[in-house]
Amino acid sequence: MRNRAASNPQSAIRNPPLIDPAALMKIKSMELRAKAVVEGFWKGIHRSPYHGFSVEFTEYRQYAFGDDPRYIDWRVYARSDRFYIKKFEDETNLRCHLLIDHSRSMGYTSGDYSKAQYAGTLAATLAYFLFTQGDAVGLATFDDQIREYMPPRNRASYLRRLILALEAQPKGSATNLGPPLQRLAQMQTKRGMIVLVSDLLTSIDRLERDLGYLCAGGHDVVVFHILDPAEVSFDFDKPALFQDVETGRDLYVDPAAAQKGYQHLLDGHLAKTRSVCQSLGIDYHLFATDRPFDLALLDFLQHRMRSRKRVRRVHGPGAGPGAGGRAV
Amino acid sequence: MSLLYPLFLAGIAAAAAPILLHMIRRHTRQRVTFSSLMFLRPTMPRFRSRSRLEHVLLLIVRCSVLCLLAFAFARPFLARPAATGAADSSKRIVLLIDTSASMRRSGLWTRALDEAQSVLKETGPADRVCVMSFDQGTRTLIGFDQWQTMAPAQRAAIASQEISKLSPGWSSTDLGHALVTAADALEDDEANDGAQSRAQCRIVLIGDLQQGSKLDALLAYEWPQRTELVVKAIPCRGVTNASLQLLANRDSLGPARSDDSPDIRITNSPDATNDHFQLHWADSAQPGAAVDVYVAAGHSTVVHAPAEPNQQTSARLVLTGDDQDFDNTLYVMPQLRRQVNILYLGRDDPNDTAGMLYYLRQAFGTGKALTSRIVRHPGSEVLDAADIVTAHLIVVTDNVNQQNITALRRYLESGKPLLFAMRSAEAADALSGLAGVDTIDAQEAEVSRYAMLGRLEFDHPLLKPFSDPRFGDFTRIHFWKHRRVDTASCPGARVLARFDNGDPAWFEVPVGRGTLLVWTSGWQPSDSDLALSSKFVPLLYGTLEYGGTLTEHPSQYFVGDAVPITGRIPAGTTDIQVRKPDGVTVRMDGNQQTFTQTDLPGIYSISDSTRDTDPQFFAVNLPAAESRTDPMPVEDLEKRDVPLTPTAAVVSEVAQRAARHNSFTEMESQQKLWRWVLVATLILLLIETWLGGWLGTPQRETERLGTPLTRPGPAPEREPI
Repeated sequence: MRNRAASNPQSAIRNPPLIDPAALMKIKSMELRAKAVVEGFWKGIHRSPYHGFSVEFTEYRQYAFGDDPRYIDWRVYARSDRFYIKKFEDETNLRCHLLIDHSRSMGYTSGDYSKAQYAGTLAATLAYFLFTQGDAVGLATFDDQIREYMPPRNRASYLRRLILALEAQPKGSATNLGPPLQRLAQMQTKRGMIVLVSDLLTSIDRLERDLGYLCAGGHDVVVFHILDPAEVSFDFDKPALFQDVETGRDLYVDPAAAQKGYQHLLDGHLAKTRSVCQSLGIDYHLFATDRPFDLALLDFLQHRMRSRKRVRRVHGPGAGPGAGGRAV
Repeated sequence: MSLLYPLFLAGIAAAAAPILLHMIRRHTRQRVTFSSLMFLRPTMPRFRSRSRLEHVLLLIVRCSVLCLLAFAFARPFLARPAATGAADSSKRIVLLIDTSASMRRSGLWTRALDEAQSVLKETGPADRVCVMSFDQGTRTLIGFDQWQTMAPAQRAAIASQEISKLSPGWSSTDLGHALVTAADALEDDEANDGAQSRAQCRIVLIGDLQQGSKLDALLAYEWPQRTELVVKAIPCRGVTNASLQLLANRDSLGPARSDDSPDIRITNSPDATNDHFQLHWADSAQPGAAVDVYVAAGHSTVVHAPAEPNQQTSARLVLTGDDQDFDNTLYVMPQLRRQVNILYLGRDDPNDTAGMLYYLRQAFGTGKALTSRIVRHPGSEVLDAADIVTAHLIVVTDNVNQQNITALRRYLESGKPLLFAMRSAEAADALSGLAGVDTIDAQEAEVSRYAMLGRLEFDHPLLKPFSDPRFGDFTRIHFWKHRRVDTASCPGARVLARFDNGDPAWFEVPVGRGTLLVWTSGWQPSDSDLALSSKFVPLLYGTLEYGGTLTEHPSQYFVGDAVPITGRIPAGTTDIQVRKPDGVTVRMDGNQQTFTQTDLPGIYSISDSTRDTDPQFFAVNLPAAESRTDPMPVEDLEKRDVPLTPTAAVVSEVAQRAARHNSFTEMESQQKLWRWVLVATLILLLIETWLGGWLGTPQRETERLGTPLTRPGPAPEREPI
């Protein structure tokens, strides 16, 4: 049985522990970094969205043609002369996939650590958090295709393997979410949570289509949009030849003349991304790499809580998850 | 200071490039790696003002490097007066005038003389001139030394007078030999005359430059570098030229035909405009008996000459219908049939196939060139002296009485051949008599089945035609019987063939000037099947030829050929007369082997003035190559490394310029100032490298720009935990 003692993130929201990410990134061990962030948060409880046949009984349902006769409760039949099917609650833990973008653009940095390092630490934090709750966590790194895939497990030693995979430097080429997300959606037969950590430097049209692969599978999708502070503010002061790390293309840019246009295009891109995620029912979080991980985790938990409340409001407190509700 | 190649100074213009590059400040070379350019738009580079130069010293050094490089390529040198003075303007000229038969074409010779005289008029008093004419050979009319001995004012006139005496002959054109001779003459004169050793050497060729000119001599000749050729080709107005050529009749021994008219090849020139010609005999009694011939331009055809009623005399074939008639006459000597008298001493019936005479008559049939007369006579009866004297070959197959032996020995000693075929061992007595020895041992050989020829001396003239492996197979000839003769008893005997058991089969014994050929086996079927083999007839004709009876004398020659005299007239003749077609008689003594004055086409006759004998005739015709009158491209001469010069005026100007350039090149190659300029360039390049590196150091760049190019970086990295 899982510990159903509900964590109370409200206390954390009231007193958020703020750790400077620059200082945190000085810790060489990613596992320690994740542990430092997660410390203070209680283990969460996740109700499974699946119904199974474990020992915990949920309800009886009248037999209908086509049901498996193995699950007919013969005692009830003896008592009532009616066929009833005995239903149980599936106690399978949350299956969470962490999708980490390892395209070349994730290696960009204007400071001490790159977007990939920040994304790795964030993913490690989430993995550690979920592992402490007994949830199964898997990992997929990708650029234009899935480079490494680790299926969801919740063994203690599995976290170390995950963190080792997260510490790998991005070696991919251009960001292309389509093939890896489509492939991952095909691989997942059970619904679960998918956490996408990427800089989403791809066209909006493709982004909507690519994220749609995951949503179509009924997965609970969370997107962490990671940007470097220099990408957000574009505060260069001298003209230079800007080289695209993914395509190698050179472009002479005078920041003084180009900054306004850059901000305009970036804001439009972010707004469209947020709009796309909203339309698909995806939790969207934009993070600059100088933002503390605590706040990121807090935002994540707050959003999950809101989401659970919304589900319960829709289905009522007595509504089972078998009706399609999602819970954290 | 002068420059050998001043055009390279244009390279100094390249010095403007560094100036422009210095004036234009390129946009920053700072390269910033960014995650994505999808939100960036290109901006126009900002250029610094063009009015201010930076790094003036570096600019000067770079410009100087380019200027020095251009200067070095211009090959500077210090001009000095030439040691030998100015370029020698005197010339050394060989005037080559074509006098071949093709120059007989209408109007060519007159224009050639005009050209020659104009060349002579252009000569200066310091020039050295040699005048040569050529056709098949080359003749010097006026040599360099003779030219120098003449008064300068009269040289051209005397040379013109000499040239006017020339006229085109009938010989072919050996242009290559003439050019080589002229070039050699120039070199010889240059070597002999030290004063004008640097004078310009030139050959002026005046001729029709026809396609039939021989250039073979140029192939193995290395043309002198300073000798140039000026071609003054005389074009011909009429272009259609057809020629005649007599084809050799290879079947002289074949059967006689009723019509023995010769075959004639008629060739039309490639640039011909007419293709219809007529072929007929000159002075023919039947004027209408002409053959129409159609030959396309550049092609040839073979026609049968029209029948000539009187074929026993020499005749002329004439071709009409083309523009040029110098090669339209062909002199033909009729092929006279010779009579060969053969005296056969034996008792065979001529129609008896078991005898030897039957096969002898079959072998000596009547051919186109030969008529045989075989006289049979028993050996035991006294021979007629006339038969012996007129006999070209005597064949003995019977016993001969002593009186006849004496006559036959005289016959042999006169130098004629005698073939002795031993029918039996008893014939050894007659053989010993003919050989002039007391006795010759002979006996019938014991042959198990048959004997074959085992060893033949193919180096002997009689067997030499069989030396080719294709014809030397005698193994199919079987000898059923033969006689074993001891050749050791015959002084001077040479065995020509032996049987496979070692017995002599054929041997010869010299008797006086003649040769006694002995066959130890007959050719009748009872002795051997030699008569049935393919070797029999050639052996008999070879015997005739070996004895000097069948020696053929060609009757067709070309102009310039050497005609052998030996054999045409009786030996020992001391006064030989050769009558040329123009009626001129040339006397020759007995020591001369050949007649070389065949300079006219026509019928020549050779006779012995001391005896009343029939003269021998031979025909001389124009060489076939001389009829190829289409113009030869002058590029054919250039292909043989002969430098051509179009006109004399251009030659002079170009030559002077070339001589001046050569002297400058020589001075420049001695001074080699470009090396020092290159050294200075390298030094400047080193300075430029050092200066560029010093000016490009970060400190200097920061001082110059004032602020760094990149955005403010983060705090210095600390050691990770």
